[in-house]
Amino acid sequence: MKPGIRGFWTANSVRTSTLRSAVIDRAPRRFLKNLPALAALVFSVTLLVALGAFLSLAGSGIQRSGECLHLTKASWQEVETPGYSAPPASLDSHSLPQAWHATALPLTMHPLATAPAGPANLITWVRLGVDGPQAITASWALYGIRLKTDGPIAIYINGKLMYRAQQRGQQWNSLFTPLWVGLEPGVSDTPVREIVIRLEHSPAYPVAVSSLWLGPADALRGRYQVRQWLQEGLPAMLNAAFLAVGVFALFVWLKRCHEPGYLLFFNLSAIAFAAHLHYYVDLPIAHDWFGWLVLNSLCWLLTAVHFLLRLLHGRPLRWLSRGMIAAPLLIGVASLPLPWALPNSPPMLAAFYAVELLMAMTVGFVGGICTWRSSREGRLVVVAIAISVLLGMSDWALHNNVIGPEGWFLGAYTNGVTFTLLGLLMYRRYVNAIDEVEQVNAGLAQRLRLREVELEESHQRLREIEQRQLLSDERQRLMQDMHDGLGSTLISAIRSVEQGRMRDIEVSQLLKDCMDDLKLAIDSMEPVEADLLLLLATLRFRLEPRMESANVALMWNVQELPALSWLDPSSALNILRIVQECIANVLRHTRATVIRVATSAAADGVQVIIEDNGQGFDVAATLWRAGGRGLHNQQRRAQAVDGRVAWVSGETGTRFTLWLPLQRGNLAVM
Amino acid sequence: MELPATGQTTPLIHVAIVEDDLCFRLALTEAIASAGDIRVAGTAGTRAEGLQLLQGAPADVLLVDLGLPDGSGIDVIKAAVQQWSSCSVMVSTNFGDETHVIRSIEVGASGYLLKDSSPAKIVNEIRNLASGGSPISPIIARQVLARFRQIGGGGASPPVAPEETTQLLSAREKEVLELITKGFTANEIAKLMSLSPFTVRSFVRRIYSKLNVTSKAEAIYEARNQGILDG
Repeated sequence: MKPGIRGFWTANSVRTSTLRSAVIDRAPRRFLKNLPALAALVFSVTLLVALGAFLSLAGSGIQRSGECLHLTKASWQEVETPGYSAPPASLDSHSLPQAWHATALPLTMHPLATAPAGPANLITWVRLGVDGPQAITASWALYGIRLKTDGPIAIYINGKLMYRAQQRGQQWNSLFTPLWVGLEPGVSDTPVREIVIRLEHSPAYPVAVSSLWLGPADALRGRYQVRQWLQEGLPAMLNAAFLAVGVFALFVWLKRCHEPGYLLFFNLSAIAFAAHLHYYVDLPIAHDWFGWLVLNSLCWLLTAVHFLLRLLHGRPLRWLSRGMIAAPLLIGVASLPLPWALPNSPPMLAAFYAVELLMAMTVGFVGGICTWRSSREGRLVVVAIAISVLLGMSDWALHNNVIGPEGWFLGAYTNGVTFTLLGLLMYRRYVNAIDEVEQVNAGLAQRLRLREVELEESHQRLREIEQRQLLSDERQRLMQDMHDGLGSTLISAIRSVEQGRMRDIEVSQLLKDCMDDLKLAIDSMEPVEADLLLLLATLRFRLEPRMESANVALMWNVQELPALSWLDPSSALNILRIVQECIANVLRHTRATVIRVATSAAADGVQVIIEDNGQGFDVAATLWRAGGRGLHNQQRRAQAVDGRVAWVSGETGTRFTLWLPLQRGNLAVM
Repeated sequence: MELPATGQTTPLIHVAIVEDDLCFRLALTEAIASAGDIRVAGTAGTRAEGLQLLQGAPADVLLVDLGLPDGSGIDVIKAAVQQWSSCSVMVSTNFGDETHVIRSIEVGASGYLLKDSSPAKIVNEIRNLASGGSPISPIIARQVLARFRQIGGGGASPPVAPEETTQLLSAREKEVLELITKGFTANEIAKLMSLSPFTVRSFVRRIYSKLNVTSKAEAIYEARNQGILDG
């Protein structure tokens, strides 16, 4: 057995107890809420109880006990006979030896265990005298709980042979079937005065006769039927039900081969069915295959129970298991109904049953030790074994006349016990499995919620990190810009003002430049949505007053441009600064009167062209000189956005070109 | 600069000023003093004084600073729209940035004035506003366009009632705004669209008032949604 297989069949006592308390808490509310269900339950139970009451009361006729005669006095004698013989058709009790012993019924005989080699057979005669009023108009009957003998039975009423049974010897179900002799009015219309019972038997057999009832058939039939139903019918029903559930388990196992518990269940039910069949079949008891089956199936049942217990407590118990397999094999071989095998003599049978009792006790005891702590269900099984052993012992007591013949053969109910036990186990599995599924579902939902919360939190964290990164980038960008532009301009202005080297108008111009710088920095933060024209428009809007005051005309020859998806605030500021620097240079150094701003789209980029009609400058020299910081700044900023700047300058003016790519491979440059 | 003679065809423009910055107030009054057709009708240095000012006779142009020591100039603009319905409100701002300007326009301002403008420009802007025109910058034009696009076809915006649909932009108004975002000035746009420069500026005024009405409708819708107003 693999360890994983135990899953379904192993009790989980901790979880079970908590589950149960939860179920109990919920139960009353559920019942109150569910009135229709309550009604259905009450109706079904009432129906069954009413049926039972009706059948047992109305049918039993116990209320008419007054009309019946209970025969409890008899006399008996034993006569030796050489062998079984057919009973005569009529009998005069006076022809029998007059060696009657008076006795009270039920009568139990105790044959001497150390009987000398006596006669082959004995006939036990039991005579009952009847006196009392009898109405002969209706059908009468003679009813008794059982007549116990292993030979033929004959009953004479008023000296006439009225009933025969067990002509071929005792049958398997004889002891469980009550006696019923119908007396029809036409057949015998005189009152019953004498009943003589002839019981043939082997010398060692413990004969027994229960008390008899004589009365109207209707009044007695109930007793007979209840007796028969409880002794045969109900156990047979339980047996069949057990087998049916076993077949159900078999089909479950066919689907779930990895859970041997189901197969074991089927196995148990099949063996139990075989072991209890003898309570209901009217075959003669003989040393044949059926007898072999009856004898051995009990043994197999014990082996199956042992393996069930092993499944429950999970311990291999190798030696015991081997013993539990070896014993049935040995008994099976020893009791084979073959001509050359040993005969089923009583001492032999006693030995077999002793072995089986030993097996039962061992299984119960070892199972009890192994499961008592670990498995609640194992404990149930052990209790069931104990009950079954007790029931079996009651059978033994009846067989051997330790108990009177009016007792019950409770052994028939061991099957009921086994069935109830396994049903209980299955019920617990089933309810637990459903609860478990529900819990798993609830757990899944809970886990899902938790994961959602976690996910949301991690998203939140990511957003925060992103936000922080963005802020940090922005701060760095502005710092850089303020440092290079506004900051240095202001510092040089302060120094100049302190040293008195600057005129007010110059200071004012310097501060205006600073203001323009600041405005452009602010504009760069507005969302331009990839629109370079909007950026240039903003720049124009900001620089317009300066150009107006410088009396420079601006020609705005822009064209629609494709969107630049990479145009973020920092790129925007770089572009603004490049163009701003260019226009500032024109205003500062070239004495131009017209500035033309144009845009055009090329295959892989866009161009911003700024032309003036000033006097121009030596591009190469200016770039080479240290003083050309402005141009170098423009180059650096253009590179930062993967763009290029170019100057073409002559005497009639300068043409500045800023080329920008449509796409940028690496956006993380600054 | 040709100044229309006082008391002639163009009437005097009365300007009220709500401004806590004394330097700028001085610069303003000096610039106005240099123009014969404009007169300062009253000044206030705080929100409270500004609201008090509105109790008096209405001016033609009200110049409001948003950052007043005792509260926001927005309140003054709102009150002015109610109490001086004929007056054009102008918000004075350092940078003409979108947040300040658009917010003011939404509550009823018709224009804005950059505080570092030259005296001539200040006077021009006041005249312009008094005659029914409004200034605009490319970034503000873009913002206004975005606002109307949101209202016109937005999923999350309130459903527009029939009388409110007329408040959406006309094709020409939209064209004006788009040209402004491309960097063209009012004069250039006038030439491109064969209009007078004044017409272009009055288009802008109309756009601003539509934005104001739409914002009010939006606010009412929001208030209804939140259960502030009944039915």
